[in-house]
Amino acid sequence: MRRKRHGVDALVLLLLCAFAVPFFWQILTSFKPDADLLRLPPVLPSRLTGVHYMAVWQRSVIPRALVNSLGVAGITTLLAVALGLSAGYALARFRVPGAGALLLAVVAGTAFPQIAIVSPLYLLIRFLGLRDTWTALILADTSFALPLVIWLLTGFIREIPIELEEAAALDGAGRLRTLRWITVPLVAPGLLSAGLLTFLASWNEFLFAYTFTASESSRTVPVALALFPGVFEVPWGDIAAASILASVPPVLIVAGLGRFMVRGLLAGALRE
Amino acid sequence: MTGARRADRRAALLFLAPALAMLAVVSVYPAVWVFWLSLQYRIPIFDVARFAGLDHYLFLATDPRFLNAARVTLTFTAISVALELALGLMAALLLRGQTAGRQVALSLLLVPWALPSVVTAKLFEWLYHPSAGLVNFLLGGQSHNWLGDPRLALPAVILADVWRTLPFVALLCYARLLGISPEIYEAAQVDGAGPLGTFRRITLPLLRPVLLIALLFRTLDALRAFDLMFVLTGGGPANTTETLTVYAYRSLFQTLQLGLGSAIGITVFVLVMLVAWGYLAALRREAR
Amino acid sequence: MPSTWIALALGCLLVATGCSDRADGRGPITLVFKHAKILGPSDPVPGLLREFEASHPGVKVVAEALTWSSDEQHQFYAVNLEGGNAGIDVLMLDVIWVPEFARAGWLLDLTPFVSPAELAPHFPAAAEVAVLDGRVWALPWFMNVGLLYYRKDLLDKHGLAPASTYAELLRQVALIRSAEGDPHLDGFLWQGKQYEGMVVNALEGFWANGARVLANDGAIFPEPERAEEVLAFMREVIASGVSPAWVTAADEELTRRAFQDGRAIFLRNWPYAMDLFGQPDSPVRGKVGIASLPRHAHGTRGAGSTGGAHLGVYRHTRHPEAAAALVRFLAGEAAQRAMAAGAALTPSRMDLYRDPDLVRDHPSFPAIYALALAGRPRPVTPYYLMISTMLQPEFSAVLVGIKTPRAALLEARQHIEHLLRTVR
Repeated sequence: MRRKRHGVDALVLLLLCAFAVPFFWQILTSFKPDADLLRLPPVLPSRLTGVHYMAVWQRSVIPRALVNSLGVAGITTLLAVALGLSAGYALARFRVPGAGALLLAVVAGTAFPQIAIVSPLYLLIRFLGLRDTWTALILADTSFALPLVIWLLTGFIREIPIELEEAAALDGAGRLRTLRWITVPLVAPGLLSAGLLTFLASWNEFLFAYTFTASESSRTVPVALALFPGVFEVPWGDIAAASILASVPPVLIVAGLGRFMVRGLLAGALRE
Repeated sequence: MTGARRADRRAALLFLAPALAMLAVVSVYPAVWVFWLSLQYRIPIFDVARFAGLDHYLFLATDPRFLNAARVTLTFTAISVALELALGLMAALLLRGQTAGRQVALSLLLVPWALPSVVTAKLFEWLYHPSAGLVNFLLGGQSHNWLGDPRLALPAVILADVWRTLPFVALLCYARLLGISPEIYEAAQVDGAGPLGTFRRITLPLLRPVLLIALLFRTLDALRAFDLMFVLTGGGPANTTETLTVYAYRSLFQTLQLGLGSAIGITVFVLVMLVAWGYLAALRREAR
Repeated sequence: MPSTWIALALGCLLVATGCSDRADGRGPITLVFKHAKILGPSDPVPGLLREFEASHPGVKVVAEALTWSSDEQHQFYAVNLEGGNAGIDVLMLDVIWVPEFARAGWLLDLTPFVSPAELAPHFPAAAEVAVLDGRVWALPWFMNVGLLYYRKDLLDKHGLAPASTYAELLRQVALIRSAEGDPHLDGFLWQGKQYEGMVVNALEGFWANGARVLANDGAIFPEPERAEEVLAFMREVIASGVSPAWVTAADEELTRRAFQDGRAIFLRNWPYAMDLFGQPDSPVRGKVGIASLPRHAHGTRGAGSTGGAHLGVYRHTRHPEAAAALVRFLAGEAAQRAMAAGAALTPSRMDLYRDPDLVRDHPSFPAIYALALAGRPRPVTPYYLMISTMLQPEFSAVLVGIKTPRAALLEARQHIEHLLRTVR
């Protein structure tokens, strides 16, 4: 029985490896010399080369784009979590009239298609003179990140038994102190999940970034990758290297902190 | 109202204010404005800005390109979501049955979901390369032009999307499966139920709520999908992969017709709202 | 405390916006010159820019390359020039964009900087495009015209002169292919990918059959049956194998390379290819001739589309005098001569085509000159690119065989009508 189980286990792992082949293929491509690239077979290269990574790191806009992506995603996350925590706490703890309707409206906000608001946002950003800045992207990303965070955090905070806070109130702590010292530590895993989801969503965001950025001052990684320059032939090796570099932060987050992400998703999704 | 209640109310508004202010500017205002834009002739670079009434909507109603885009959107959504649910469920079941190497398996499964959509697009663009692509190679050296053949382009895009999103479904199902205690299965086995029977009568009903949530989220996402088809095929060849979102984007930023593009965006919004409303109605009917 | 976090976040925001601003240059003037990659054996642009810097102390020119595709370049400009601080001073413009950019207010009015006689030495088609509402918005830089390349060796072998009608071209292709018996020899290569280049091919076909896209009174496709015939012909040459199937994904470079490898009898392309065919390692060196494009049954003569590039100054440049000086320098005779000598470019100044030194190195210059004079411009309207973007998917659908020419023309007309209604 044990042997059969190990056999099946191995088979499933093999299947999943096959499932992830597109990604592995791209990694392999990024190390293949140009001569081996444009023809199949051979599948495996004669030798591995780092020339594509060098080209991308030294001669492309990807390094700058990585900085832009980090900045935009990071600040969006901080902003969304800060505002979302504040709003979520209010919706979960205070008896706000129409809280249910408000929460529903917020959730409906996550369903609003980006393509529908990109034109008014474009006019707004143009009017504010924010073209090609981090601010434009942070504002745009907040439009979908903030509703998501509010929804998740409201659910998380509701889970925390209110007795703990009431005990603190009896001890004479004010609202803010209770929030800071009791609620936040308890909801920390939820904050982390919401934060990671927001970072991931902002890092991967393409539509707004493509529309509102104009140069490498603010271009994020997805846009830089989509606009990767090729003079005559498409530089597949360089694009592969750039793709892998672009994937490092999101893959690290998901692989390393997958457990938190699962918690975050499920808590929001499965708790109506 | 007691003083404490009033203080409560004030505190609540204070806590809510920053988030609501932000949402008002970046979500609510644009959402309202886009309706107004769709009723206008608006081309900023030529200073065209005048009222159009329903002209854009009337145009779209008889526009073959719009009807084609709607058809592509619905086809893409239906096939994509069906495949994602089926394959995601299978993956979750396989994962649940793993006794060893679960972390590795989970990581392998989640990688496609973690990747930015543009990375996935570039990945598949390379896989679909007519002469140097892995897909043609694995098919025995054929030379299909996946992204250039009008009959193959949409299936190619759907495949890429399914690869990218089935981990999400698998994750939801897997987490739910973890919550099912093994005693239920042991009891079923004692009763002599085979694996298929167990699946049909125990697993599936318990998974139903999660599958319905996955169905809702994935449908809404597929209706609004943009990145993959825009970067992979640009809506081509000959508009065979042009969804409503791509048609809207091209109208907005290629021909710079903000009024028409906004109108198309509104139709995507209406479609999404219809699906969401239909889902909620079905839920309410079930609860009764 | 939420308040500390909010303050922190706002602080980060402020710092970030500061980080993303471009540094403001003070001191020597730096001009940013955006241009597409220059094809050909050598790139004379850097040398010319250094020359300009030498004669204009205190001015430094930074050249930035644009993406290869004309559509993407246009997208880049359309998205960037709107803002008002694009950080560009001099731009290279496809000739079809000049009226659009002028109307959109993105170009600096060059009339104060340019004397009226400065436009005279350039081809009339190029000079016309540079003027809108009586003011000068750009200076011509180089000139293009669509022409027919043919394998002189193969045609001579069978005693044929280059086809003057498309029916004749089909006959010649059939004859040569059956005689040569080479399965890899394609008949007729042209650009059929879904982009502006394909619309050019379609327009040349229309004109060759006496059809147009826009009439003077604003009517769209005033000769619909003739236009249908042309689209049907373009589909037929692919379906019958006269043109290979990959033509529907081909641009100028792809077809140029195939022809240069000796794999085709006829090619429709721009003049730049001639220099590349004449390179020492080219398999078709010495075997290529150029001729006017053929005509269809209802046309009087075949005409290539004129094209090329102009140089303009960004309306909101911080250094208008220096930028205008750079434009006039690059469009001037010495610079255009250097461009023609070093790069695979045909200049917009007419007398350079009679210059003995240039003609010696480019023996086809006199022929190209005649063809350019006989060429026809694409509709000169600010809305041309928008119209082209509406034609592209329709024509492309015909070429890949999923739409009839009639349906394509009908849908294209609907879209163009809606657009013209919007801008009226």
